[in-house]
Amino acid sequence: MTASIDDAREAAATSKAAATVPAFRTIDAETQHTVEQFLYAEAELLDQHRYHEWLELFAEDVHYWAPTRMTRTIRERDREIAARGESAFIEDDLHFLKGRVRRLTSGVSWSEEPPSRTRRLITNVRARPRDDGSLDVACNFYVYRSRLERHQDWFVGERFDVLRPAPSSQTGYPFLIADRTIVLDQSTLLAPSISVFL
Amino acid sequence: MIADTDIADIGSGLVNPQIYTDPDLYQLELKNVFGRSWLFLAHDSQLPKAGSFVQTYMGEDPVLVVRQRDGSVKAFLNQCRHRGMRICRAEAGTNRAFTCSYHGWAYDLEGNLINVPAEQIAYRDELDKKNWGALKVPRIACYKGFYFGCWSEDTPEFEDYLGDMIYYFDAVVDRWDSGLELVTGTTKWVIDCNWKFASEQFASDMYHVPISHASAFIALADDPAQQMSPPYEAPGRQFAGNGHGSGSVWLPQFVLPDGATGPAYTDWLEENKEEVFRRIGVERAHKVHAHNTIFPNFSWLGQSFTMRVWQPRGPGQVEVWAWTYLPKGAPDKVKDSVRQGTQRTFSPAGVFETDDGENWTEIQRVLRGYKARQNLFNMQMGLGHEERDVHGLPGRSNSVYAETAARGFYQRWSDLVRGLSWAQITELEQARRAAEEVQPA
Repeated sequence: MTASIDDAREAAATSKAAATVPAFRTIDAETQHTVEQFLYAEAELLDQHRYHEWLELFAEDVHYWAPTRMTRTIRERDREIAARGESAFIEDDLHFLKGRVRRLTSGVSWSEEPPSRTRRLITNVRARPRDDGSLDVACNFYVYRSRLERHQDWFVGERFDVLRPAPSSQTGYPFLIADRTIVLDQSTLLAPSISVFL
Repeated sequence: MIADTDIADIGSGLVNPQIYTDPDLYQLELKNVFGRSWLFLAHDSQLPKAGSFVQTYMGEDPVLVVRQRDGSVKAFLNQCRHRGMRICRAEAGTNRAFTCSYHGWAYDLEGNLINVPAEQIAYRDELDKKNWGALKVPRIACYKGFYFGCWSEDTPEFEDYLGDMIYYFDAVVDRWDSGLELVTGTTKWVIDCNWKFASEQFASDMYHVPISHASAFIALADDPAQQMSPPYEAPGRQFAGNGHGSGSVWLPQFVLPDGATGPAYTDWLEENKEEVFRRIGVERAHKVHAHNTIFPNFSWLGQSFTMRVWQPRGPGQVEVWAWTYLPKGAPDKVKDSVRQGTQRTFSPAGVFETDDGENWTEIQRVLRGYKARQNLFNMQMGLGHEERDVHGLPGRSNSVYAETAARGFYQRWSDLVRGLSWAQITELEQARRAAEEVQPA
């Protein structure tokens, strides 16, 4: 089962031959449930513009990344999604995420003032334990944005998170997001901006 | 359609907004502006070896830009000569030949037709393949690693086309001994606005920065005292010539703290600033570093390491193709910090970029109104206060808060779109310059 961006790359690279990433695997029901509820809670915080609470979900060392992608032939499909060090829509650390929140809540961030109305649909949640005790979690997302009088955008893709167990007394949540890779399905983004969090 | 008389004197500072909405005028733009200007195609670093290609656009025409076996770069229309199919549908890659997926006509790296399936059975050997190669871009200029293409034989040579803009282009492309490279991959997105809003702004508009981008400065600095753009009183100049534009607030010191790239870059810049000074001079290094457009649609921001082409997509839409450029010889950690800085400021998620699109799409939407399209826009900032060859900067310039470069951009656009020949345009430019000299400063 694809649970990390590396799995997705490997699947792309080997799609010519036999895929090496098994497509079916299960995890215990409680972990699955907790992961799903965590992701839904995160989506709720964003849809309700509760950005300061949202920031508390991230580990200090988080890498928050949305690589671009490119139309490639099957032969070169392993290069379809930009690699680390290549082109990206977003490449943030926690410090910069805090800067974005400061901006969004400033009242002069014109692409979000008046703010967009968003609805985040999180589905196809797949989790797999990592050796270090954290989880690789893949999910599909559909972020709908309605803006001003009649503007609308759809951001659709797959997200790969590393969730690190957190003492729930610390944040009230079971995990910290230690790594996030957002892979949009469009190569040419059919939206004027990504002024909301994905 | 809008009349020639509505746009002939656009350089005097009144804009008829139908130039952003008129579908017939848009078709004339594709023919007369994009068909007769030098357009950016690719950078050396995008084409690392023989057979490397990228697909780009000249206006709305798709072209393949291909590294040849002799190291040169050629380009041809990405349209099969048989029945018009797009020959190559990948955005980039490496090929030995390009085979159309409709009936299988195959083209070599130059665009020559080299194979036709069942040539004897289907064409009875009567097809002369040398007459049916892809349409080649007849003129390609390579300037310091940057390739530009032009369809028209009448357009002046690339360096003459740039004119005084060479000085401003060199400030970025000639800055480092090792040259530049583009980060792999193109960031592409779509904004529902006319292409000219974007291209013009990068030529001419420092004025919007403190207002439109107020929140970007808040994102970049923790300290509220640092959360603002330079004061309006800070000295700076805007250059205009041949439709191109460049503007900068002068740097009070060459290396300033940078909230987007951080100290990894600024420390390195401090250590290596003498290289910049030696190559482009101390004065140019301080005075030329911000917004720029080479007419019609190639722009860059020197401080923010972003280059882009504004690809026209009908009167009401532009496709932005953006690249991050890097000093090729910089250490990896410097390149990482520059790349991250650019992605955080100027990408579709960038803290500056998102607000620009918001302005342009709202202007375009307002122009659905009939009255709104009759209402002339004011592009008169600094009109009559231009000077030539002052402050050590070549060409015609004004205060950095001016619309001199916008007026120049639209005058060149108007001359071209109305179908004036390049000879007529050159003659008109000389007359305008003579008129400028008899006016009091």
